[in-house]
Amino acid sequence: MNWIQGLLIASIIALVVFLLRSRRSVQSQAWVKVAFLAFMFAGVYAVLRPNDTTVVARWLGVDRGTDLMLYGLIVAFGFSTLNTYLRFKDLELRYARLARAIALDGAQQPE
Amino acid sequence: MPSETRGAWIVVPAFNEAGVIGEVITALRSVFTNVVCVDDGSADGTGDIALRAGAHLVSHPVNLGQGAAIQTGVEYARSQPGAQVFATFDADGQHRVQDVVTMINRLGSGDVDIVIGTRFGAGVSRPPLLKRLVLQTAVRLSPRGRKLGLTDTNNGLRVFNKTVADGLDITMNGMSHATEFIMLIAENRWRVAEQPVEVLYTEYSSAKGQPLLNGVNIVVDGFLRGRMPR
Repeated sequence: MNWIQGLLIASIIALVVFLLRSRRSVQSQAWVKVAFLAFMFAGVYAVLRPNDTTVVARWLGVDRGTDLMLYGLIVAFGFSTLNTYLRFKDLELRYARLARAIALDGAQQPE
Repeated sequence: MPSETRGAWIVVPAFNEAGVIGEVITALRSVFTNVVCVDDGSADGTGDIALRAGAHLVSHPVNLGQGAAIQTGVEYARSQPGAQVFATFDADGQHRVQDVVTMINRLGSGDVDIVIGTRFGAGVSRPPLLKRLVLQTAVRLSPRGRKLGLTDTNNGLRVFNKTVADGLDITMNGMSHATEFIMLIAENRWRVAEQPVEVLYTEYSSAKGQPLLNGVNIVVDGFLRGRMPR
């Protein structure tokens, strides 16, 4: 196994564990934002100096910089999908509680 | 009327069941004083029929799913004075009222907090083959259900006491709530027992039954549960 394989698999596992273990706390939300910013900066850098990505890719055992970016994108996509899913579930629950409060308010008794 | 039915509340979650809800409520009301129907945003007048048949009616303004409807019904029932025993009962007419009475008597012996119906007990007819396979797979995929010694984790018929009703907090709105029920039993260490019940597979209830593929949703939801704020 070369460097990139180990690195990618470890980062995928770390993300999944992080997302599933942490309650949806303020802290974890902050980390999501930090990770997003870092991802964006890395993107800007890659646009400005595309050849540098190939250099980094070589260190990690990948041939081309574009491949490295693709792998990074896969991890980021998985992360954002899971995050969105959990977010939606959270909203669904709040929505259900709101609807429940309305329903209980208008309860009708039989004659 | 036996005295133990007086503090009993039967929760009937219903979504577009206008064809059968009247009969189901009438049958329940012939034995139980307190029946609450949770109309889960039906468009066919299910709620009105249930109210006329003698049920208390709580109507969701929008469709939320069976899990949410059960939670709403239990919240309504547990706030009523004198409520001691609670039951969930499907609106499609697949359960028998006499099974609820048996289960309430079982709960009355005081050594358990919740009694769950099972389709795999002695003396009851077994479900059709395909249904049986699905249900037994669901049990195998539920480690907690296995640990608790349960044979049918997806039965809609449950009877429980005030402790369980007060602690109940179903967060899964859809059909995954059966699994969540089992998780809550395990987490709260509620004492559980099973009671063999007859489930009537009428053409109507089979047509409305859960598609097999929904099992995937249930497994994934079960895995992701607990990451949610409570």
